[in-house]
Amino acid sequence: METRIAELRKKNGITQEELARKVDVARQTIISLEQNRYNPSLLLAHRITNALEQKHIEDVFLLE
Amino acid sequence: MIGKPEWFTRRKWAGWGLFPATWQGWVYMVILLTAIFGTQFIPADEKTRMIALGIVAAILILDTIDIMMRMKKDERETMHEAIAERNALWVIIFVLVAGVAYQAARNVVLYGNFTIDPVILIALFAGLIAKAATNIYLDKKN
Repeated sequence: METRIAELRKKNGITQEELARKVDVARQTIISLEQNRYNPSLLLAHRITNALEQKHIEDVFLLE
Repeated sequence: MIGKPEWFTRRKWAGWGLFPATWQGWVYMVILLTAIFGTQFIPADEKTRMIALGIVAAILILDTIDIMMRMKKDERETMHEAIAERNALWVIIFVLVAGVAYQAARNVVLYGNFTIDPVILIALFAGLIAKAATNIYLDKKN
């Protein structure tokens, strides 16, 4: 799974820390997600999608 | 109870329990450790000192459990903790089983009787029950 979290986060002008706080996870989890080292649960994927102001999970998470 | 979860971090590299993450956590640790050692300087008989030590130690253990249960973990941290605990448990089980086998073999060879430490067997049996109970609970839950 690849993600566009870093790209969309920068576009929205928010830091990793702020995104982590918004979706209620540790900053390290955001770092792992951005580096494609961790596959999130469906719930977390939804939260991140909403926090990055995207409509669909596929806009943020790309299944390779 | 007494301590707050945000004062501590979960021990990852050196055993189980908590490690102070803020100055409040360090103050908490110093106060409780001082209280534990302080019980040995109470001007009373040995029995009273042991009772005082037991009370302070019980408070420390209960508060540690309370803090750990209230400590916030996200799904990635929860998964990491679960895998680390599982691996630790497998090593413990392996060592216990090897210990039982060694004890049994040694006693048969040296003394001609098959005796082993019942505490080890009880520990393994208790673990078996905990695993079964957890699986029953989780199967019903989701």
